[in-house]
Amino acid sequence: TDGRHQTVMFETLEDWRDELERTKGNVKYKAVTTNEGYRVSEKLPLYFVVPMCISEENILKYEGRGIPIWCWSCHNGAALLKMSAFPKEQDDSTSQMQKAFLDGIYKTISKPPYELVRMDDLSSSLPSLQDIQTAYTRFKQLFLIDNSTDFWATDVKWFSLLESTNWLEIIRRVLKKAIEVAECLEIQHTNVLLIEETATDLCCVISSLVQVMMDSYSRTKSGFQSLIQKEWVIGGHCFLDRCNHLHKSEKEEAPVFLLLLNCVWQLVQQYPPAFEFTETYLTVLSDSLYVPIFSTFFFNSQHQRDTNKSGESLKTQSGPFRFLTVWDWSVQFDPKAQAFLNNPLYAEKPKPDRSQRKTARFKHQRQLSLPLTQAKPSTKRGFFREETDHLIKNILGKRIGKFINSSDEPPNSLREFYDSWHSKPVDYHGLLLPRIDGPEIKVWAQRYLRWIPEAQLHGGGTIATAAKILDLMEEVQSLQVKMDEERSQAVSGDVHSVPMLRNSARLSSLFPFALLQRQSVKPALPTSTWKDLEDEDDLVKRDDEFVDLSGDML
Amino acid sequence: MPGQRCQRRAGCRSGGRDAGAGPGARGSLPGRSGPGARGPPGQSPCAMSGVPGGRRPTFSGLAGERLLEKAAGARQRCGSGGGSVPGTLLCTDRRLAFLPGQAPGSRGLLHSEGEVALPCIHKLVAASSFSKPKVLTAASTLKFIPEELAVFCRDFRLLHFYFPENGLSSEAFRVANAIAQAREAAAWLGDAAEGHDGCSSPGEAPPEEEEEEEGSSTTLLFESLRDWEKELQRLGAAGWRVSAVNERFDMAPSLPQYLWVPSGLLDHDLKRTFAHFQERRVPRLCWHHPGGGDLLRAASFHPASEPGSEDVRCLEALLLGDRGPCVLADVAELPTLADIQLAHLRLRALCLPGAVAEEKWLSALEGTRWLDHVRTCLRKAVEVVLLLAGKRCSVVLQEPSDRDLNCLLASLVQLLGDPHARSLPGFQSLVQREWVAAGHPFPRRLGLLCRDSPREEAPVFLLFLDCTWQLLWQFPADFGFTEAFLLALHDSSFSPYFSTFRFSCQRQRRHSSMPRLPSQTYRPTGGWQGPGELGGSPHTRTFPPVWAWGRRYTRQQQQQFRNPAGPPAPAEPPAPGTPGDPCPRKGSRLVLALAKGSLCPHPLPWWSRPPPRPPHRVSPSESQGTRGGLPGGCQPSPGLLLPCTAAPCVRLWRRCYLRGLPQEQPGRLAPSLAGLAEELQLLQERLGAWAGRRPR
Repeated sequence: TDGRHQTVMFETLEDWRDELERTKGNVKYKAVTTNEGYRVSEKLPLYFVVPMCISEENILKYEGRGIPIWCWSCHNGAALLKMSAFPKEQDDSTSQMQKAFLDGIYKTISKPPYELVRMDDLSSSLPSLQDIQTAYTRFKQLFLIDNSTDFWATDVKWFSLLESTNWLEIIRRVLKKAIEVAECLEIQHTNVLLIEETATDLCCVISSLVQVMMDSYSRTKSGFQSLIQKEWVIGGHCFLDRCNHLHKSEKEEAPVFLLLLNCVWQLVQQYPPAFEFTETYLTVLSDSLYVPIFSTFFFNSQHQRDTNKSGESLKTQSGPFRFLTVWDWSVQFDPKAQAFLNNPLYAEKPKPDRSQRKTARFKHQRQLSLPLTQAKPSTKRGFFREETDHLIKNILGKRIGKFINSSDEPPNSLREFYDSWHSKPVDYHGLLLPRIDGPEIKVWAQRYLRWIPEAQLHGGGTIATAAKILDLMEEVQSLQVKMDEERSQAVSGDVHSVPMLRNSARLSSLFPFALLQRQSVKPALPTSTWKDLEDEDDLVKRDDEFVDLSGDML
Repeated sequence: MPGQRCQRRAGCRSGGRDAGAGPGARGSLPGRSGPGARGPPGQSPCAMSGVPGGRRPTFSGLAGERLLEKAAGARQRCGSGGGSVPGTLLCTDRRLAFLPGQAPGSRGLLHSEGEVALPCIHKLVAASSFSKPKVLTAASTLKFIPEELAVFCRDFRLLHFYFPENGLSSEAFRVANAIAQAREAAAWLGDAAEGHDGCSSPGEAPPEEEEEEEGSSTTLLFESLRDWEKELQRLGAAGWRVSAVNERFDMAPSLPQYLWVPSGLLDHDLKRTFAHFQERRVPRLCWHHPGGGDLLRAASFHPASEPGSEDVRCLEALLLGDRGPCVLADVAELPTLADIQLAHLRLRALCLPGAVAEEKWLSALEGTRWLDHVRTCLRKAVEVVLLLAGKRCSVVLQEPSDRDLNCLLASLVQLLGDPHARSLPGFQSLVQREWVAAGHPFPRRLGLLCRDSPREEAPVFLLFLDCTWQLLWQFPADFGFTEAFLLALHDSSFSPYFSTFRFSCQRQRRHSSMPRLPSQTYRPTGGWQGPGELGGSPHTRTFPPVWAWGRRYTRQQQQQFRNPAGPPAPAEPPAPGTPGDPCPRKGSRLVLALAKGSLCPHPLPWWSRPPPRPPHRVSPSESQGTRGGLPGGCQPSPGLLLPCTAAPCVRLWRRCYLRGLPQEQPGRLAPSLAGLAEELQLLQERLGAWAGRRPR
């Protein structure tokens, strides 16, 4: 009953069944126990979910390759699936056999009651892991500064440097792909099958992102944590290799999980009320990736974790060894600090009773089925394209945007979906689409600027308003406590809690991270300026001669 | 069905918003006149033309406005989803307005959304399916029936209207041509206003607005002696006085009537100094830091002046006084007017739909250099305010003309250093003093004049608004006003129908508002100098100041001007500090120049010998080295804002500049008409659900 507020670990069959029930996927999909004892593959979790019609035999045939694995079901029944592809085979007959196998699978899952399937090979439609790693390395370089000289040196070219790292562009492409998938599920009612060689890298990014966008449960703290458990930890993302925790091989390193957090951050800062957690939560989560006392992000698979748990090396240790999970935030933070992880302005979902849920569902569909375009507007809007182009060419000679040109192409359902959604007011509990146009993708300033003293603002930054909001909330709470007391006539002692922030008058924008105690205020004015003035007396003396002279002129 | 949606929208608006508005909010809006009796579509426009002798029943704030053409049955597109709002497109001799037709109650709420002052129109384009799109000017009129009109505005808006084919095509044709013509005419009107002999002001002088709102009543306009005295007292600047030496604008025509000058300097002596500065704009006090620093502004020294010894005494008394070291801060590092104009043009082009591929957006933004200019200005202001706060010295801002970047710097420094300037009335007073009274040539700089006037356009004021927005964004809890307020001010600056932005200096403003008398220049001094008298004269204000927000914005909109997270109490006057604090280096006569963040001794032009030691250059290693002690500045004083000027911290003012993009169409104060209605309904449904669940 309290499950709503707990992180689901997906280590038991029950967890998967509950998830199927929650998403109403239990009609067409089943949780299987085929991999108990890792009979199928060490890369797959102990329990996972596949379409009803997939036989155990098929699952076992190629170690789970070529099998569509269920991620999530949309409210209309369309499901998001992932599949690890077969590696390129030299042998013709093998690849023939594999092809036949796949054809068989596709046929089974395309028949009713299953929806049509749309396949998406992520290894060809998204940047490679190598690209991601390169971009992130370059991006990180912008923020790793030895001294402020370097910092100010890059300052002039900041935007073009940022652009040339390609990191924001990768974020944009990933978000765009997620919108594409969401459109298939939501509008076209087709299943989407994500394909990748291991199905544990970009598949995880896209499937998690789609769930964050489409499932408001994934935007609560426990929901998001359960999602990470489901898709990443149990799902078998190779944290050990991707994070290069053991510094074994740099070839495998790629910030895939960070990429997801960066994408989610874009959503969080575009729609803050839709998320129960804050950007600070995402920042500390990203930090936890490298805290080795937690088992959560330390292994390549559930199998690896299990074997290490019972491994020889641990038996020699005295006492019971316990792996800690990241999700127990009290290990890292005291309750006061944990308050910064929760969004005080989260638009909590009104707890639905039966009738309520019905109207909510109705509302959701009404929004989407509304005729958004009245009277053939798309062709008409094209009128001014030429004019705009002309104007721009005159002034700038710049390239014309893709979207403007694309209106000549057959109607782009994706663009239409995106535009029509954005022309509506946002339902914070419904579908959420990120804005992905040029100016919208931003740098996660809190994470990347927090150790740079030059970027500090005394008394400014988002924390300035956040602190006010927390103050107000506390005030409201204390008033409520008082009111309750009045009502119950209870005499109580001192219930007045000490405000968290009220006494710390002006915080730094880097709060709650770097509390840099700086001697001087800003390097905006180089220190030598002050030296000049310190030497003033000296100067005055030396100027005496000079002053006398001007006196002569009088 | 569109009709149904509109019905619903209208319904919930009258149910929700209007109920909250109260009867007194804006009783005189045309839409309100007959929401029930929406018979012929021409009804409400007729009401707009104004009933002569009536109690100003119609237009908010604009007297004498004439309706030229109207097209009922037009539709305005909103957003990129293809939605549109039906209504009436009007063209008057001052503006283009769109009245949403079927939601009469919403007229008051959003009426500034669908309005453009004619001079604000950058380009007008008509299109039909049978012909190429055509740019409309007064010279080249329309030869076809337009189906669609696009209005590119200077304030980054892009309005789309279209005319469904329902037999109203001639109206569409007429209104399109009328707009093109009127736009030209309006430009000439602006030109006339620039002249010194008054403007073609509409005959009747409207009485002062009945409801004087709080914002404008506490705003000092600096047109009277009292305002200058009051403000000087607030600053606690001992050693300074108000001088009326320029009361008749005969000392310096572009300066205000009253100047703050050292108490020790007699008007007689002060008069000797005017000739030695360009445009006769002498140094005068702008702001006094409670810790003792003084901020002055002045034009450059006149190149041809050769002051005699008596003049030198007066000049030095004015510049140096007894106030310790004096720092001259020129504007050499700041962008030139041409730079600002070019950057603004590029920015405007970049913010059009489809201007640049999304993956090239950032470098294109960098290429405009607009943000660069913003940062440079902020950085300079930080340097100056640190000098004032940390070191008790006076800083003289010196710009050749003292009418552009000095306005920007002087007001930015005060925003950084003076909490009062960050309150809403304080900010309005600041703009009034440092820009309006100081003689910033608004009409020329904002390009509101007719086309053949010399190209002197440079949106310095908009650059200042952007800098202010950066501060607001970086220090959200320190300002009493909001982004919505800045946006309203930004948009208003393109409309010349306010006395604030209509004139280039106080003298013009004063002359144009005086009844034209042949003997005017010869009138005895006592004739019209009483400040109270001037304020009360019925003819003094033909146009309202921009601060009369109540004429254009509803209460709800104005509520959005105030920052709920702002400083708790209206900033109290700064502690009097140590007014008569004896300065340690009295009469040191040290003059330094601030350049590239460092100070070096600098001679005044009439000092013939070079400074005793070579200018001290700062090598990078030295400037980055150990932090020297920063006496008095170790902890930034509480009222001081020190913005970060590093590139990652300076952002694009999206809600202002990206309004033309389809995905950004949501308005400046509300997320568009349709959006607002929908949201309202959503909220009501939710509220209903809540109320239903609560057993009461």
